[in-house]
Amino acid sequence: MNSIIKVLSDAIYYNLIREQRYMLFVQGLGISLQLTFYSAIIGTILGLFLALAKLSKIKIFERLATIYVDVIRGTPVVVQLVIIYYAILGSSSLPKIAVASIAFGLNSGAYVCELIRAGIMAVDKGQMEAARSLGFSYSQAMAYIIIPQAIKNILPALVNEFIVLLKETAIAGYIALDDLTRAGNIIRGRTFDAYTPFILVAAIYLYITTILTWLLGKLERRLHESD
Amino acid sequence: MIEVVNLHKSFGDLKVLKGVNTKIKKQEVVCVIGASGSGKSTFLRCLNLLEEPDEGEIYIDGISLLEHKKDINRLRQKVGMVFQQFNLFPHMTVMENITLAPIKLKGMTKSQAEEKAMELLHKVGLPDKNDQYPNHLSGGQKQRVAIARALAMDPEIMLFDEPTSALDPEMVGEVLNVMKQLANEGMTMVVVTHEMGFAREVGNRIMFMDEGIIFDEGPHEQRFINPQKERTREFLDKVL
Ligand SMILES: Nc1ncnc2c1ncn2[C@@H]1O[C@H](COP(=O)(O)OP(=O)(O)O)[C@@H](O)[C@H]1O
Ligand SMILES: [Mg+2]
Repeated sequence: MNSIIKVLSDAIYYNLIREQRYMLFVQGLGISLQLTFYSAIIGTILGLFLALAKLSKIKIFERLATIYVDVIRGTPVVVQLVIIYYAILGSSSLPKIAVASIAFGLNSGAYVCELIRAGIMAVDKGQMEAARSLGFSYSQAMAYIIIPQAIKNILPALVNEFIVLLKETAIAGYIALDDLTRAGNIIRGRTFDAYTPFILVAAIYLYITTILTWLLGKLERRLHESD
Repeated sequence: MIEVVNLHKSFGDLKVLKGVNTKIKKQEVVCVIGASGSGKSTFLRCLNLLEEPDEGEIYIDGISLLEHKKDINRLRQKVGMVFQQFNLFPHMTVMENITLAPIKLKGMTKSQAEEKAMELLHKVGLPDKNDQYPNHLSGGQKQRVAIARALAMDPEIMLFDEPTSALDPEMVGEVLNVMKQLANEGMTMVVVTHEMGFAREVGNRIMFMDEGIIFDEGPHEQRFINPQKERTREFLDKVL
């Protein structure tokens, strides 16, 4: 019994207290959350434009958006991150977090595109016909009738995408960005304790995703109130 | 008022309309009957270019629709449409459903549009439903709101595609009554329906669609369809 307590208190001491190592976790979490936030903004805006391009009747837009989405979804995000970092943005003076935000945003945009498109297509096609028969143009019908209904389908999927994004940013360490996961790695390197830092890291991710999932549930209930 | 000349429409290999010709006069009420899949909806949807014909011409007030595709949004304002599935906008109240198009497309102020909407709601017998969302209405009520929504644009022609087919039997009457009233007020109407009672009482003419054409029709002055052809008789025997 005593030895278990000793092991635990040692683990806490070496992984969190000594040299104020908990600060590494706090800062790492800060980086992970910022990265997720900026990527989510870039991804949402990009995804919206890609979705409109894919739904567009202008063939070249539709083709380009389709190719983009297929390439992004068909390659590992970690490879995209490294390519963007070294080949494209590594030579510029942008801070690493900006580079990573762009990389994750470009990736997320492809997924957001598909969920926005799915959300729009899920709106009954009689809605577009009714709007057109009243004399609305295609874009007016989209703006007044289709998108407001699609948002109900899209928002929950979007929050879910942000949860996925938070977990995906765990590979930011590949470009030496000190996110939460890398904080665990750094501490492991100092304590030679393989388990504790990563169990702590996992617990922190789980805590955040649980909060987001709970918010998602609330959001879904709110959206269905008017049904 | 509407003239249709040699209208053709295919979906892939499926030839649905194979040369429809007809003229519909102002204030005329034309009922279209025919078996499921005979192209009634396709014909109606061509009349406001929700489907684009492959061949032929459609004139409304002498203006060729196909030559004025650029102006189609404006031309569609003249042609109201009522759908089998109502297609009310579920995220808007009844009032918003009715006023959206007049405000955005006709430049009416909100209060003008709402005043007009209240008149229309009285007309269709739903003056107290303005604040409701469509999902809280019965089928018959939804369809009457859909009629009011179309009327809010002051159309010259109203197209009805099986407006009572999705309704419980006890609600059919309330919708047909509104349509009858509209016909009495002199609205030009094209109505796809299986309600033969309505077709006979209100319709000036009954068209029977089959084989991609207007196979048979009852004459303008005579309100009964007097089936001249065997196919028409068979169909009527089935629906009556
Ligand atoms: N958008 C479409 N694409 C392919 N086929 C269609 C489409 N719309 C209608 N059809 C087909 O055309 C035929 C006529 O349909 P429709 O005009 O809806 O008939 P009705 O209204 O008389 O029942 C049917 O066989 C139907 O399946
Ligand atoms: Mg039909």
